[in-house]
Amino acid sequence: SIPTSAASEADPEQLQQEQHARSVLRESFLRCLLSMNSKKVQFHMHEKVKLEATFGASDIDVLNFQVSDLHTPIGVQKEALIRCQDVISFTFDV
Amino acid sequence: MMQCGWPLLGPLQWIRYVNRQVMVKAGNDEEHRGWLLTVDPVSASLVLVTFREEGRASVQVVMGHAVEEVQVLQEADEETTRRLQTSFLPARTCGLDP
Repeated sequence: SIPTSAASEADPEQLQQEQHARSVLRESFLRCLLSMNSKKVQFHMHEKVKLEATFGASDIDVLNFQVSDLHTPIGVQKEALIRCQDVISFTFDV
Repeated sequence: MMQCGWPLLGPLQWIRYVNRQVMVKAGNDEEHRGWLLTVDPVSASLVLVTFREEGRASVQVVMGHAVEEVQVLQEADEETTRRLQTSFLPARTCGLDP
């Protein structure tokens, strides 16, 4: 995981700026996650594997995604957890 | 242009890429282009938006751990910035501020 503060332990003013930037970025990301709920998402995995599933939720540290109807090369998995480390990118439409 | 070490840049660096059109190389052979909406400060994942016709858009999220290179292509004009930043706002805006 990523350290909470990169290089600003010494300077309180910079720390405050950094925390503000962090909150702006995170709020926007959480809104994006919210909008993904129940949407069809295409996952691009390593080795050019592509999967489609209905997005459910992510845990707070973005380590796992919970999805439904995961279309895998060997069949459809009704409910599944995807390890984020295995994912390169994913796309969906709004 | 940024090569490797993307997850280590930190919020003050990431936020400078917001509202810019970027090209991201990830994994071994993926290349994505889009307007950068945000970077998740926890996972360093980038959220890219590509606008389609009739107010529709496609969203690509590139996981921070897979990022190899981020290149800025251009800055957004006012209209694009507005469109981008209102993409995921609820119809009735409810901010997290008290």
